[in-house]
Amino acid sequence: MAISVTASAVPCLTSDRMARIDAAAASSSSSCSKLSSSTSLRFPSHLRHVRIGTRDSRSRILPPVEAKKQTFSSFEDLLATSEKPVLVDFYATWCGPCQFMAPILNEVSITLNDKIQVVKIDTEKYPSIADKYNIQALPTFIIFKDGEPFDRFEGALTADQLVERIETTLKVRK
Amino acid sequence: MTLQLQAPSFAASLSSFVSPLNRSTRRPVIRAKAEPSDKSVEIMRKFSEQYARKSGTYFCVDKGVTSVVIKGLADHKDSLGAPLCPCRHYDDKPAEAGQGFWNCPCVPMRERKECHCMLFLTPDNDFAGPEQAISLEEIRESTANM
Repeated sequence: MAISVTASAVPCLTSDRMARIDAAAASSSSSCSKLSSSTSLRFPSHLRHVRIGTRDSRSRILPPVEAKKQTFSSFEDLLATSEKPVLVDFYATWCGPCQFMAPILNEVSITLNDKIQVVKIDTEKYPSIADKYNIQALPTFIIFKDGEPFDRFEGALTADQLVERIETTLKVRK
Repeated sequence: MTLQLQAPSFAASLSSFVSPLNRSTRRPVIRAKAEPSDKSVEIMRKFSEQYARKSGTYFCVDKGVTSVVIKGLADHKDSLGAPLCPCRHYDDKPAEAGQGFWNCPCVPMRERKECHCMLFLTPDNDFAGPEQAISLEEIRESTANM
């Protein structure tokens, strides 16, 4: 198993949470998935709008959340220690739709901050993890609950669609 | 930046550490290098434009996606000799490149115009833009911070 081979092979699996309000925090984005939030890939604005649950007219002020870079001794460790369900994005450097999803994942992890933890795994750096979960097409998203795969889907989607999918999955089968 | 430097040495140390133990099962690890060669990018750019015209498909409304995929194809062309689809995870890349199913244009694209890389999009696709062309400048700009 690639992870346990060398000491330097500590996987840096990051949970990306960007501060939306504080633009200065953008520079603190995780370096492990270094392509995550700093790409110039942009959705047309009408496809990017994320509806947060309430429809009231008061604007919702989100607390600034800083991107956290955490190191785990293994992916299993990450899954075991997480109190929330984990959304894992299996991606590759030169996969277009994967890069496209990067800013969307940031948005969604802020929106659903209390409900789910977002983690990205570079399948070229950690092929054994990708093999273990039979990853084929990229991006593949797996929602882990209690350390086990709970839901799984492939391909890029809009922020709205992703939030909907996560909420539906976690609600229905809870 | 640190991570970029780490990656090649990680690959080197991994293969040299492991090979004495189970040489028979260890395949050479092929990873995306930092940047594909200009020549390959140009070849794949021209190919993409031609094939989009030929198949009646269009590039993504976000050209960044198109750019990343073109570079991914170029990167595989450099490392494997064939433009293996960059939007898949493989057990054994050289074997796949030799086999050909996933070499761009892949069989699903040729048979059913299905491109999950979002490189070639049929006009009815939500993400399809109006263009079948992309310049080298556009590719460079959209992938400048990668």
